[in-house]
Amino acid sequence: MTEIKLMKGNEALAEAAIQAGCDAYFGYPITPQSEVLEYLAREMPKHGRVVMQAESEVASINMVYGAAGSGFRAMTSSSSPGISLMQEGISYIAGAELPCLIVNVNRAGPGLGTIQPGQGDYFQSTKGGGHGDYRMIVLAPASVQEMADHVFLGFDLADKYRNPVLMLSDGAIGQMMEKVAFKPYKKPDIDKSSWATTGKPKTRDRNYITSLHIQPEKMELHNLKLEEKFNQMREHEVRYEEYNTKEAEYLFVAYGLSARICQKAMDIARGKGIKIGLLRPITLFPYPYKRLAELAPQLKMVLSVELNSGQMIEDVRLGVNGKVPVEFFGRLGGMMPTPESIVHHLETLIMARNGN
Amino acid sequence: MSVAEAPINEAIKALTAKDFATDQEVRWCPGCGDYSILAQVQKVMPTIGVPRENIVIISGIGCSSRFPYYMNTYGMHSIHGRATAIASGLKASRPELSVWVVTGDGDSLSIGGNHTIHLLRRNFDINILLFNNQIYGLTKGQYSPTSEVKKVTKSSPLGSIDHPFNPSALAMGADGSFVGRTMDRDPKHLQMMLTRAHQHRGASFLEIYQNCNIFNDGAFEIFTEKATKPEEVLFLEQGKPLIFGAQQNKGIKLDGFRPVVVELGNGVSADDLWVHDEKDFYKAQILTRMFDDPRADNHLPRPFGVFFESDRLCYEDAMKMQIEEAVAAKGKGNLDKLLRGNEIWEIL
Repeated sequence: MTEIKLMKGNEALAEAAIQAGCDAYFGYPITPQSEVLEYLAREMPKHGRVVMQAESEVASINMVYGAAGSGFRAMTSSSSPGISLMQEGISYIAGAELPCLIVNVNRAGPGLGTIQPGQGDYFQSTKGGGHGDYRMIVLAPASVQEMADHVFLGFDLADKYRNPVLMLSDGAIGQMMEKVAFKPYKKPDIDKSSWATTGKPKTRDRNYITSLHIQPEKMELHNLKLEEKFNQMREHEVRYEEYNTKEAEYLFVAYGLSARICQKAMDIARGKGIKIGLLRPITLFPYPYKRLAELAPQLKMVLSVELNSGQMIEDVRLGVNGKVPVEFFGRLGGMMPTPESIVHHLETLIMARNGN
Repeated sequence: MSVAEAPINEAIKALTAKDFATDQEVRWCPGCGDYSILAQVQKVMPTIGVPRENIVIISGIGCSSRFPYYMNTYGMHSIHGRATAIASGLKASRPELSVWVVTGDGDSLSIGGNHTIHLLRRNFDINILLFNNQIYGLTKGQYSPTSEVKKVTKSSPLGSIDHPFNPSALAMGADGSFVGRTMDRDPKHLQMMLTRAHQHRGASFLEIYQNCNIFNDGAFEIFTEKATKPEEVLFLEQGKPLIFGAQQNKGIKLDGFRPVVVELGNGVSADDLWVHDEKDFYKAQILTRMFDDPRADNHLPRPFGVFFESDRLCYEDAMKMQIEEAVAAKGKGNLDKLLRGNEIWEIL
């Protein structure tokens, strides 16, 4: 039976973690996501699960490394500065091929920044914030409902690829309240005995978790195996949503909170007779390059709307591959654009293009 | 002439606490213990004889870490847990500056525990002011590494099972060369301890009990309130016997390695008591371990004052000496010569 609740984004995320069978959560307080730790500290013990306040985000991600190594569904969450601290651990976890879920409730940076929403962590999330050749599936929730849904999806994808999955949310989605439905969920039955540290039966060698192969020939084979997984993700895991694209001449591309604002901006602009649609990437890696390439020929202009100084726009440009001009609109420092200001910018750009 | 050698002019001597205040609105919750600490630091600063431009206050992240905004000196509001590392880098580069780290129990004992012990071990001449309120205040009330076991907070609804740090014992363990404790609600003692921390050449570790009246109100009330303070607080004074109590009728004696409370009178006099010696490394360890739960039966009073002071060589001095020795032994380096190397080829 589907259960409908009114919840804060961070609390929906935490509740979903419990329902998704998260065995262990490790976190450290940081605004604007401390509610996740607090909710789980309250609720997880009732389900016999592990929840622990670590001494730092460096400790949190390494505790996740340990728990994931034992075959547990392990998770951590933080906000931008804390996620920066986790990058070393994330690289090792990807290298060691362990599944886990990491949630970034993005605030505005760089440095300490503000506790208000931002999307300045796009590069860090999608281009490898840590060192070495690795990728993560990056899910971008745009509603409290998706704050919950992406937890189930994220854990499943992490297990499927034995790779960390990142949810890139933001301070507004994390803090706002909306209704959220929890559908019945069954944890997939996955045999982790071939790699998890669950003891050594006589029938096989001991499991050994590492990201290192001393011989470069073996290391390269390991890298190629990882790359093959990332190619599989590129092939099978692209997710996006689109609105009014069929006869669109213009296109907003936006994710997360920006996409929510763009939906309203799109309605206002269409009311004024501008034929505009919206493409909302749900996965930021893998990115919907192909869909952008398909749409490009019919478009006069694409506007990438982000809460940063222009990061995803580089992927939008890769997608349309020069076939259509790509413009940018963004706010910084924790400020959010109004739908009207986006439409105003769009109109100015269209007028400039039409030579007025 | 380096800035350290600059003569302290009359104008500097005439500075007052007000000269160390800034135009920033102080943004701590009304009633926070941080206000008292700020006031005492601003009072002490004009007396230490260091020009404002030669003072740097470095903080990490947390409520206490807003401190640099409110001090009319140089300041850095830096990274969570890293203030002690940043201060180390600054002191190594500009040893003539008076460097103060303002930090909290979360900042310097949780995420920054690592850098804190290394600063102490290296013994940079830096003053660490650790505001201990036994809670994470800025993130609105989760337990910290100094919170007591069983503490119920937002992140420990069933009670914390984390064994807390004893900050002064930790500082002793890391070979801190000055280890002391004071409290926000005793302005005179706080001022005296700030002066002592400044005077000490080497790393000064000063733990300041600070009340967070919003998320952990009354955590140190037993030590700070008039009714209980005389019985619960043991003020350490160099060369003086350890006496406490509302009637000054109790003292601490060593029974082997174990401190015990004795009543004065009936044949027991001040001569029988432990006499405080800040230079005694072994006894300082025992003093920092006088850390009983004040709610427990037969508990020892909590010591305040200077536990330990030693004049161990500072890192920046050792570094200077090493450079001077290297120059004396090998001569001043010649970069051109180094780049040329010993072998020269002629390419035809």
